[in-house]
Amino acid sequence: MRLVRALDRRRWVLTGAVVVSIILIAGALIVFAGADPLLGLQGLVDGVSSSPYRIGEVLVGAVPIGIVALTLIPALRAGVFSVGAEGQIVVGAIFATAAVFAVNRMLDGGAPALLLWVAGFVAGAVGGGLMALLPAFLTVRWRVNEILSTLLLNYLAAGFLGWTLRTWLATDAETATPQSDELPDAASLPSLIPGTRAHWGVLLVVVLAVVFLVWQRSAASTRLSVFASRPKLALRLGATRSRTVYSTMLVSGLGAGVVGWIQVAGVNDRLLSSVSGGVGFSGIAVALLGALAPIGIVAAALFFSALSAGAVGMQSATGTVPSSIAEVIKGVLLMGVACIAAYQRQPAAVVAPAEPVVADAPDGPDAPGPIATAEAEEARA
Amino acid sequence: MSVELWVAIIAGALALAAPLVLAGIGEGFVERAGRINLGIEGMMIMGALTGVWAGSLAGPLAGLVAGLLVGLVLAVVMNLLVYRLHANEIVIGLGITMLGLGLSTYLYQLWVPSGQTNVAVATVPRVDLGPLSELPVVGPILFGQSPLVYLAVVLLVVAWAVMRFTRFGLAVRAVGTDPASAALRGVRVERTGASALLIGGALAGLGGAVITVGTIGSFTPDITAGRGYIVLAVVIMGRSRPIGIALGALLFAFLQSFALLSQSTSLQLPSELYQSLPYLVTLVVLVITSRSQMRRLFKTVRPA
Repeated sequence: MRLVRALDRRRWVLTGAVVVSIILIAGALIVFAGADPLLGLQGLVDGVSSSPYRIGEVLVGAVPIGIVALTLIPALRAGVFSVGAEGQIVVGAIFATAAVFAVNRMLDGGAPALLLWVAGFVAGAVGGGLMALLPAFLTVRWRVNEILSTLLLNYLAAGFLGWTLRTWLATDAETATPQSDELPDAASLPSLIPGTRAHWGVLLVVVLAVVFLVWQRSAASTRLSVFASRPKLALRLGATRSRTVYSTMLVSGLGAGVVGWIQVAGVNDRLLSSVSGGVGFSGIAVALLGALAPIGIVAAALFFSALSAGAVGMQSATGTVPSSIAEVIKGVLLMGVACIAAYQRQPAAVVAPAEPVVADAPDGPDAPGPIATAEAEEARA
Repeated sequence: MSVELWVAIIAGALALAAPLVLAGIGEGFVERAGRINLGIEGMMIMGALTGVWAGSLAGPLAGLVAGLLVGLVLAVVMNLLVYRLHANEIVIGLGITMLGLGLSTYLYQLWVPSGQTNVAVATVPRVDLGPLSELPVVGPILFGQSPLVYLAVVLLVVAWAVMRFTRFGLAVRAVGTDPASAALRGVRVERTGASALLIGGALAGLGGAVITVGTIGSFTPDITAGRGYIVLAVVIMGRSRPIGIALGALLFAFLQSFALLSQSTSLQLPSELYQSLPYLVTLVVLVITSRSQMRRLFKTVRPA
């Protein structure tokens, strides 16, 4: 008991240390840029909250990150590290754009809004899902490292998008950047809060958060956690490797694909080459930041989006601080949270050492792969 | 396509492969020690920026050293968080990459505000190999390269020898194969893993500096463009062996060089296909090697 309490105290100290070091690093970066940190802070707050429009922008930015992060919960819980959201968003966006134009053309430009939304949503989900099933197949069938396969597929998706915007979906109009034609008016997601760009996708985040709150308590969720640490036990509970990898990666792919549609229909009204814009990577960071808990993820997504919006405000207020300061803070924050999470994990490792105890025995899902465990058992037999 | 074009493509491939090989050698040590460094991309881009910065102050050699040191510092931070505080190494790696990409952009924008012309520095001078570099075909490919290409080759041999013949190499392999047994035999598991990670970080930073100070001579945000991830793929493809790493890096660099130089020729294919080809082929080779590794593993597990 005393041990647990001591660890708890250290956790609070560590959390404090992370917060203080982030503030210090941010302050140092602002001073290094030759600006006044207080003025910078003022600009940050203004950039986020000075008008309803700006609050709306924070919501608009949080929607794609939130959806990607929420739908990554099962995969990350099972220890399946898919970093392919970026490419899945891109393919989802391409499919959605193509579907909206196709449906609209079939009905001679008079397609009702609901039909266009359903077409975009479904096509986006299919695109993202297909893009996720490929690395899932490679992982299950030939044990191709899913981190690397999804990373490489992101580049292929970017190439496909570039080609798409130059050829079959390119607009005929003269534009500075490659883009598609503007979507028909009926296809755009209506705004949720008048006077802002905040669209109905905000509600989708709320719905998904509730769904995952309920799902979290299900047996399926627990099975995934077991799969991450004790694959053999999970097998007895009915979670085979292939079923786990396929289902969790499919969920994240569907989510990312829908994000592709939302970015096209809700924000840009057309397909742009910047459609994914780092949202996929932010989504992973936010999922980890929110400790894979839906409420935490929604809060972290809002925070990430606010940080980006606030950094732009800081740039215009100080005139010298580049808005890329937001990316630095996000990276530091992610590392800090990983350190705090490590302390959370330790009591369990103290109570039940599963592997032979070494001075720095690795714990958690990253340690023994299924094969390594099987091999060890073979050796013991 | 003419002979000259092929010579240019192959010579370009060797130059493009050098940073991948350098970072790959380092990551080879990390992965032989049973770890993975997902922060390579961040370490490389920080090395690329500091390389140009130090290069503008004190010449290309200082740039290379500065790049190496920055990678080392980031690896020290990573080591502290992963080994001492037991944070998840995949998350910390991604964090280092986010930090590196963000910080390099931030510092660059302060250094060269938008609208100002980019800072260009002198690249590492070529050594004159006299008549050798005038040989037909072989001359420009083998003897017309930047000294950094030769450095990569030398380090490749050194890494192979260290891994194979030294106590440290044996310790790294032991720790990677079975940390518990290694610890029982008196190998310092934590220190060996840390040394491997520091080597990996330093060489990643050097690799980043080689991109800027070695060939291009200037920095732009996101200049590494995912090369850190390619290094990870190359190391896994090459099963952390120096020869495998070199071959994987050469394959990727060859396709990249091919994409850069053959767009003008009349193959009538979309340019995006050329640009995607290195990633596509890397993925295919990754699948092939993963497949054969899996088969080998199952053979040893079930000796029936």
